[in-house]
Amino acid sequence: MRQAGSSDIFSIKNRLLRLKRDSNRWSVVTLFVVFLIAIPVLTISFELFEGPGESWTHIAKNLLVDYVSNSFYLLLVCSVMVLLFGVTTSWLVARYEFPFRKQLEWLLILPLAIPSYIVAYAYAGAFDYGGSLELIQRYFGLEFTRIDVMNRFGLAFVLSISLFPYVYVSTRAFFLNQANNLLEASRLLGVGEFRTFFKLILPLARPAIIAGMILVLMEVLNDYGAAQYFGVNTFTTGIFRSWFSLEEPETAIYLSALLLVLVFALILFEKWQRRKIQYTNESTNTERIYRKQTSKRKQFLIFCIVITPVLFGFFIPVAQLIYWAVLTYSSVFDYSFLMLSLQTFGIAFLTATVTVVFATLLIFSAKWNRIGFIKNLSRLGILGYAIPGAVVAIGIMIPTLALDKWLMGVYESLSGNTTGFLIHGTLFALVYAYAVRFLAVAYNPIESTTLKVSNAIPDASKTLGVGNFKTFFKIEYPLIKTGMLSAFILVFVDVLKELPLTLILKPFQVNTLAVRAFEYASDERVMEAAIPSLFIIFTAAIPVIFLNKLLVSKS
Amino acid sequence: MKNIVLALVALVLFSCKNDAKKEQDSQTSQEVNVYTHRHYEADQQLFKKFEEETGIKVNVINASADELIQKMTLEGDKSPADVLITVDAGRLHRAKTAGLLQSVSSNILDSIIPSHMMDTDKNWFALTKRARVIAYAKDRVNPEDLSTYQALTDAKWKNKILVRSSGNIYNQSLLASIIAHQGDDEAKAWAEGVVQNMARTPKGNDRDQIKAVAAGEGDLAIVNTYYVGLLTNSENPEERNVAESVGIFFPNQETTGTHVNVSGAGVAKYAPNKANAIKFIEFLVSEEAQKVFALSNYEYPVNSNVAISETLKNWGTFKEDTINLSLLGENNKKAVILFDEASWK
Repeated sequence: MRQAGSSDIFSIKNRLLRLKRDSNRWSVVTLFVVFLIAIPVLTISFELFEGPGESWTHIAKNLLVDYVSNSFYLLLVCSVMVLLFGVTTSWLVARYEFPFRKQLEWLLILPLAIPSYIVAYAYAGAFDYGGSLELIQRYFGLEFTRIDVMNRFGLAFVLSISLFPYVYVSTRAFFLNQANNLLEASRLLGVGEFRTFFKLILPLARPAIIAGMILVLMEVLNDYGAAQYFGVNTFTTGIFRSWFSLEEPETAIYLSALLLVLVFALILFEKWQRRKIQYTNESTNTERIYRKQTSKRKQFLIFCIVITPVLFGFFIPVAQLIYWAVLTYSSVFDYSFLMLSLQTFGIAFLTATVTVVFATLLIFSAKWNRIGFIKNLSRLGILGYAIPGAVVAIGIMIPTLALDKWLMGVYESLSGNTTGFLIHGTLFALVYAYAVRFLAVAYNPIESTTLKVSNAIPDASKTLGVGNFKTFFKIEYPLIKTGMLSAFILVFVDVLKELPLTLILKPFQVNTLAVRAFEYASDERVMEAAIPSLFIIFTAAIPVIFLNKLLVSKS
Repeated sequence: MKNIVLALVALVLFSCKNDAKKEQDSQTSQEVNVYTHRHYEADQQLFKKFEEETGIKVNVINASADELIQKMTLEGDKSPADVLITVDAGRLHRAKTAGLLQSVSSNILDSIIPSHMMDTDKNWFALTKRARVIAYAKDRVNPEDLSTYQALTDAKWKNKILVRSSGNIYNQSLLASIIAHQGDDEAKAWAEGVVQNMARTPKGNDRDQIKAVAAGEGDLAIVNTYYVGLLTNSENPEERNVAESVGIFFPNQETTGTHVNVSGAGVAKYAPNKANAIKFIEFLVSEEAQKVFALSNYEYPVNSNVAISETLKNWGTFKEDTINLSLLGENNKKAVILFDEASWK
């Protein structure tokens, strides 16, 4: 290593030369995509240097301890629960044959389809005074024993049960793609099932598990609706409090930036942890997955384990919603819901496509470029997921409005007419905002399957003079297709339930089901929100089931 | 598959293009762009009626008032917003101080709306009222023991009071009104006193507080009349039972009057369709529109010629606090800080 000091100028020159040598068009593409995606995040990060507003001392003195301790509590408890639900189910589903396995495979994704604040409302409603639990107990002539879910643990449970599918989806992709030959080897060497799982599979599945976990943790950090309803003060409720109640957007953005630092630290830590481990497996596995046949009793046991998270994450909240929907059917339902579903479906479809393309482009252009720091930069793109949607919206509005006002000026001076906003308040801005926010959701599953693709075949292809693009479509694409499909489903479902971004950025006349559900829920008419919520769930179920079929048949 | 994608993309782009065109035409065609925090069916019904009567198209963006204010701020002088509607006076005041609204002179508005129900500079006007009242357990509380908000700090209500979090604007407005009447120190002492008497740490919404009273977790709940109305007329029989079991008490009748908050509307500073905006607000306070608000939404109309709904009639009439609502906005931030200092979660 060169000593700093006398040869500074030379080393800088050398570095520049090396940069020039190593750069290729993929470096430029990566930089461009990262820039596009990171603009809002950067806009917000710059605010960090502006410092917080004058309420900061008040927040630091009276509130911050509460925010930090509650947020860390949630991160910790949710990590444990999500691991438990996500990894167990994906392992059992990938490895064992048992009754209803095929249905459960996709049912396990569906808890994601219910916005977590709706799950929170459903649980609160079910366990409330005069709620479903009381009705059931009364029916059986039992004394009403109330379980209070509206506390910290209840919140952690609700969030975990509605978010664990992130871990399930990414981990299952790994188990389906990879685990087979390893298992075979382990089995031939006479190692038992449990030991193989803990000693071999679990460590290897780490990137996949972590990829899902990071999504869950970011989502937990930016949850607002559920935390606020349950009366748990977190970082994000604090952001909203300082923004709206204390009337200091700068303090809110400062808090968001702190949150970003926290998430960035989490990501770097994970990167550092796995720095030396190469996860690519030299032989790519294309064999059919081997599923273990077990005794009837064991099968029943497995069925019970797998159905539990589906029960709590899907059937119980949906049952509650259906009950409410029956009560409010006559006053709420009308046929405009069908059109609304179609519109929401279209927007989600478009966004998911755009986001998956962006994520794939980002991952591969970063891979094909040869400059180290640009590779690392590509990670910046996923930060958008950790910030509350409302703050992302601000991060998007500041630059797009600046561009818009400039464009309007140009247009006016050219044509002499005035025009409305060209970008802001159009579908384009909305989809762009979604892409920024959900890039992480698409990035992680694609990246974790990419890590599994051995570099040997694409390298060979390139040695033989085949270009990056062709190699991608001929070799890498078929191998990472499962990852891309998972990414598509996750983004699609996320868009369906997205709220704050949609509310702020949506064009006039455009509406989504989530907005409709929110209109009722924010007015404390949770029962009436049941019908739009059910529509969200069923709209989400269509691609989940359909794509899951593709996903499974391809592996 | 590809075809489906293409078709959908085309569909979505097409619908988008239509919208863009509509917005561009705004100078020529008749329309009014409304940013509103109110999202009730009654409102949609009224917007439709306004369209039919005047031929002016109503374009709506629904979001929380805070987000709408932020949006208008960033959009600046190019903002398409004509009218801002919120569900509390504090936010309207905030929009005014942020320079987002403009003064409106309208004889119709001046004659219908009482002067304390509008901004001192006529930047905004109240549309409907809600009162913050005490809901008590009929079987355990004698309403004669109740008197004022201030009396809730009495030690006899220890572990009896249910109220939602201080993040809620109605609580903030209530405290802001106490600040305006009695000053910071008294207000802080009040907040601390209520915290002392709380039956549980604040959680849930106003409906949940009433349910908890019915279930016996506490005896008194500080709630908004609008939500009691929703509960009384719920589709869920359990909720109607809950509403049956509580009584409504209007506090401070002997003193300052019961605290009321309003939802209201103002004309945006850079409104591209100012005349339509004024017409729109005038329509919303007309007897015809106020009747719809009063009957379908359990709110008190600002137009005194319009009768209140049956549900509200059953609670009786009351004397309302006639403090100018602008003060609620001015004291809002102070109220939040006092809540935090009093550890009102």
